[in-house]
Parts: sequence; structure tokens; C-alpha cells
Amino acid sequence: MKVVIIGGGWSGVASAISSKKAGADVTVIEKTDLLLGLGNVGGIMRNNGRYTASEELIALGGGELIEITDRVSTHTNIDFPGHKHATLYNVNMIEGEVHKYLTTLGINLMMESRVNNVKFENGKIKGVYLSDDTYITGDVFIETTGTTGPMGNCLRYGNGCSMCVLRCPSFGPRISISERCGVSDIQGETNNDSLGAMSGSCKLAKESLSQELRTQLDSKGVVVLKVPVEDVNYDKLSTKVCQQYALKEFAENIILLDTGHAKLMTTYYPLHKLRKIKGLENAKYVDPYAGSKGNSIRYLSVAPRTNDLKVTGVDNLFCAGEKSGLFVGHTEAICTGTLAGHNAVRLALGLPLLILPSSIAIGDLITYANEKAGTREGRKDRYTFAGSGYFKRMKELNLYTTDINKIRERVKKINLDNIFSQKLC
Amino acid sequence: MIKEAIDCIDAGTEYCPCKLAESGECLICSQCQGECFCDCLNWKGVCIYQELYNNGNKAKEGRKTFDCNVEDVTNYNNNMIMIKFKAPHKLVLDLATPGSYIFVRTDENKYFDIPISIMNSDIENDVITIAVEIRGIKTNRLLNIKSNENIVIRGPYWNGVFGIKNILAQKEAKVLVLARGIGLAPMMPVVRKLALQNNELQVVIDKSPFEVNFASELLDQYKIQMSENLLLDQGKLSDHAKVIIKDALNDGASYIHVAGADILTYCVINYLNDIDRNDVSLSCCNNFKMCCGEGICGACTSRFSGHRVKRFCKEQADPRSIFEGRRFI
Repeated sequence: MKVVIIGGGWSGVASAISSKKAGADVTVIEKTDLLLGLGNVGGIMRNNGRYTASEELIALGGGELIEITDRVSTHTNIDFPGHKHATLYNVNMIEGEVHKYLTTLGINLMMESRVNNVKFENGKIKGVYLSDDTYITGDVFIETTGTTGPMGNCLRYGNGCSMCVLRCPSFGPRISISERCGVSDIQGETNNDSLGAMSGSCKLAKESLSQELRTQLDSKGVVVLKVPVEDVNYDKLSTKVCQQYALKEFAENIILLDTGHAKLMTTYYPLHKLRKIKGLENAKYVDPYAGSKGNSIRYLSVAPRTNDLKVTGVDNLFCAGEKSGLFVGHTEAICTGTLAGHNAVRLALGLPLLILPSSIAIGDLITYANEKAGTREGRKDRYTFAGSGYFKRMKELNLYTTDINKIRERVKKINLDNIFSQKLC
Repeated sequence: MIKEAIDCIDAGTEYCPCKLAESGECLICSQCQGECFCDCLNWKGVCIYQELYNNGNKAKEGRKTFDCNVEDVTNYNNNMIMIKFKAPHKLVLDLATPGSYIFVRTDENKYFDIPISIMNSDIENDVITIAVEIRGIKTNRLLNIKSNENIVIRGPYWNGVFGIKNILAQKEAKVLVLARGIGLAPMMPVVRKLALQNNELQVVIDKSPFEVNFASELLDQYKIQMSENLLLDQGKLSDHAKVIIKDALNDGASYIHVAGADILTYCVINYLNDIDRNDVSLSCCNNFKMCCGEGICGACTSRFSGHRVKRFCKEQADPRSIFEGRRFI
């Protein structure tokens, strides 16, 4: 049985691992030369409710990627405004580690291969076409193409291509596979009636910061600097993807996190203004390269799906990551990806699909985000274990905990311990 | 409905975005077709929407006209005329690819512009060669052209050959070229490209309606196997042509370039279908009527099943798709 995954970001990689472990022959098609997509410029794990979700995933038997991010982390258990016990992985180390791991599992990685179109017949995808006309068949497909870009979308809904890590001008545009099958995409909305949202952070080259800031970043992992009063812009917070970082503190301060590069927790910031701040006189962007003018636009292409992550309207297509909901973050992508990969194998074998119950945070997030995507208000929200409305809900429902034993017990109680490690065929 | 991926010859060139994109009719870009999201099925390396936006939502300037000095004119019994003229180096470079053509202006009145394929584009000496069959009121005027006078041309245009993808795909392979009549002229850049890609060429030439093979001088530059024979016999593919095709395919060729009228291309496609060789890839001349070449006038449009209208001045296509599902009413 062959599972074909389109998109090699965090959720695609997670789907690949879980479907491989369940017994499938797995191919990942990735348009760029790197796996992990935006994960190459991310780095924040285990903050707030993501800690619970990470441990749930380990208890469910799908913790490989959490273990890798833990291993290449440069800082653990750090706090910054609104966030507790975060782990920061080194973005310059992570891709190589994950790539190597997937290769050892025997997953077929097709790098620099861009899907251009699908062959869709009688409600099923028969195969996908690459931009060089190669045709790839499969039994089940998982779309993890994300919702970001390409250039035209970033222009219409943002400030134009800002040359982010997805590098559409070089590797070509993302295609919505579900939309190709005639299933209309859902878009995230904002309060001012526009669509999409802007990625919420940039990266500065650490070497371009003052020695003092570098030392502080290396030792503590976080630096908070005051924004000059005349430059404080609260409006920018509302356009942001990562509502967990859309706090007052993030407008009044420059918050830098050490993720290999210095992660700047704002959508974009004109360089000449940034350089007015002490220690940033020589600051230089490394992602997006045009961080002075904008950032990538996301949430323009979410697929309608059921809680088992199957795309509504296509018999053999699953989705995960941002494609499966207005989610933010790597942890959310890894969780949905793992479930989609596992269910893809179940579908091919004719087994009932797994829906994670709401008694664990992962199950609750997937169900809650789906319910919310049906309403206009809900499409203005973003869903993450790390903050925004959902973390509040986690606390109210007592889902949030950092007690590992308690998490294991919860998973055991619903008989799902190590479910993602089971070989199904 | 699932949208068809369309290939535009001008996409990503200095003439893109054109008036079609400006008015929401771009062949490729969904955002330039009035849609709200990217659905970039046939990305050509640039974002056309971004190019349009950066150009103030206006089309790029179209092709320019050039006054060129005529170097040499050869008249073949008033049936055909071959003209060599000097041109700016940039234009000569632009016209070197298979399928390149220009409009030759023969009167102040633009309706007299004639779309003519490039026969040869000599990059070293900046000389362009065209061959024109004298047929009607526009071409008649070319008989007056003399050496050292000026000729006015407009260009460069590129969609003179269908199946360019297939030409580019031939590398170190055995290829067959069938050419007839004035088709010998646009055949030359194709032969040049195929030879540059180290292919083993077999070229079969049907001179009719002319008495001489006017391409022989240019063909002699290449190491090719050449023969002269009738390809069409009373509107049908000649028996000889059938034998040539069959032998070439048996010999390992899997690609044919047809340089002639549509009837020749159509006969070859049908014959390949008859012998169950639809796997053979093809390229052929674009014989649609061109008037503006810029996607505006509609002279080159044709209707196809499913209410599709194709603009063949810009749309690249596979030779088989030119005839498949085409409406004649």
C-alpha cells in the first residue's frame, strides 16, 4: 500500500513517520531542497499547553519528532512574556537531523519536486503530476502543503513576496490539492474583513547583534528590549498569525529568542527603525530576507475535513498541519500529521478511522478547531496549545498539565497508549 | 470543473504581463483572471500578478518596430522570395529559437503586416533570413524589395511552432523531420536546435510547389541524412511518406517534426494513430492566421469542445491538441 504525502513540512514529516510505522510504503514530495518548511525558521516547542500536547504525543507512541527537537534544543524551560517552560530548538541543526531520521526509516523523499496537478476520478485521487510531467500514483494521499504563499497571495493579502524560507520564486508555487479536486478551501479571516494572516516572526543574524545581546541570548535564550515610544504599533498585532504572541508586551517590546538565529517576535519591522534600538545597530534579517517590508501570508487554503483529518469530498485524501485548520505551530503540525498518517493506512486497509477523544488536548484541539472553522468568528481565531483562546480553554477543561505521569495515565485510560507505534499491516 | 493547464509562450518574458493580463484574461495566472487566490498551474518562473502590480497594473509595452537594412534578395520566379537583412543584435538573439517569427510591414497601413517565420538567425553577423511565398495582396508587395533598402519589421514573436517542449526533450536521439513547401523556412531553426542537441537527424523534403530546395544551402551546414520525396499525394499522406515514417520508427525514432501545412500534420497524426503509435511525440508549424500577435485581435483564435477558445498567437500546445475537439462552426 502506497501513501503519498504532498509537502515535507513538520506535518508532512510527521505523517510520513506515522504511516511508515503503520506499515505503508511512503513517498514524500517536497518542492524545496529542505524538509520542515517553516520549521526551518521556527524553533519554539513545549511552551504553555504545547508541553502537554508533546507529552501526549509521546504517550500515544508518536513522539519521535518531539524527541529530536528536544535533542537539538539550545535552551530548555525558559519563560518569556505570556509563555512558560519553552524549549527552543536550533533551526540550523534540525533539518539535517530530521532528514537523516526519515532516510533511516526507508521513507522515499522526493526533494525539489513540485506537484502541479492531480488526476481525480470518481471521487478519488489516482495520482499527482509533478511540474516536470512525472506522474506519481498512490492509494492514499495526504496533503500537507500548508496555506502559505505563493507570491500572488502574499501580494494580494500582504506586502508582497518578502523572500521567506519557502522560496516560491525559486522553487515554484504551492498548489492546493484539495481545491484541484473541486473542494473549496476555507480562509482564515481578520477583524478588518481581509483574508489570511501574516507570519508572526522574523530571524536576525545573531552575529549582527551587539556582543552584549549575544551573550545574553546565549546564556538566557531570551532578550527583551523596549521599543521607542514613537514606534510602538499595536495595530500590527491584529494582523498576526500567532495570536499567542499578539500581546501588548510584544508591541511595546522587542522580544528576541535564541533559536540558532535571533528570533524576532514580530511580523516585520523596518530595519532603519530596528537599528535605533541599542544593541541592534547592525541588525540584519536572515528570514524573511525582506523582513523590513513584510512576511508571508498564511491561512488562505484550509481544507474542509472531518475530525479523523480526512478531506471532505475526496475519498482518499487526508490533510494535516495548517491545511487541516487554522493552527499555529510545529507541535500542532506534528500532532495532526501523526494522526493523518496513521489514518491514511487505516483507510487503505478498510479499518475504522481513529478520532482522538476530547479528553486529551490533541483530540480536543482538532475537534474544537473544526467546529470553529464553521463560523465567521471562529475563522478569525487561531488555534494553538500555546496561547490565544485555546490555551485558556485547555486550562478551563483541566487539560493543561506538565505532570508527565498524569498525561500517560490519561492516554492509557482511553486505551490509546502507543497506538501510533502499532504496525497495522 | 477542473481547469486545464495552459502554456503561454510569452509568460515570463520582457513582454509579460501583456494586455490580456491587464484586462483579466491572462492565459496562466488565476489572479490575473479575476480570481482571488493563486492557482498557479503552469508556473513559468515568475509571478505574473506581481509583475503586473509592479508595473502599475498596466501591460508591458508590446513589440517594437525596427527599420532594417536589406542585404540580399533572391527571387524564385516571382513565386517565392528570400530576403536577408541586418538587425539589432538583441533582436537576432531573440529570434534564434524555434518558432520565432516577425511581422513584415509592407505598407503604412498596418493591415498589410505579414507574419513571417524566421528561416535563419545568424547571431555572428546579425543577419536574419526569411523566405516568403508570394500569394496575395500583402506578399505581392515584397517583390519590390531591393538590396540596401529598408525593410520594416515588428518582433520578436515566438509561437510559430507547436510542441516546443517536445523539441527541447530530444537529446542524442534519432529524429525525423518532414518538410514541405514554404514549411522549409520555419523548419530550419528547428533543425538547428535538434542538431545542437546532438540528435541524429533524418530530413525528408517535399519541394512542391517550388522547383528547388531553397533550404539546401543552410541544411548543408549540418550533418544530416537528407532525401527529397513527395509527402502528400492528392491530399493524402503518400505511400512513400508512410514507408519513411514506419522505417524511422522501426529504427528507433520516437519524435517527428512536421514542417508544412496543417493537412500534412493532420495526415501524420492520423497515420500514427492508424499504426497505433500515439506515443510518438510531435512538433509542427503553427499555421493559424496571425494579425496582431499580441493576443488582442482574435485572428488566431479557434474554438474547442467545452466552450474553450484558444489564442494561438500565445498559447503553446501539443500538435495533437490542435485538432482534437476543434469546432469548425
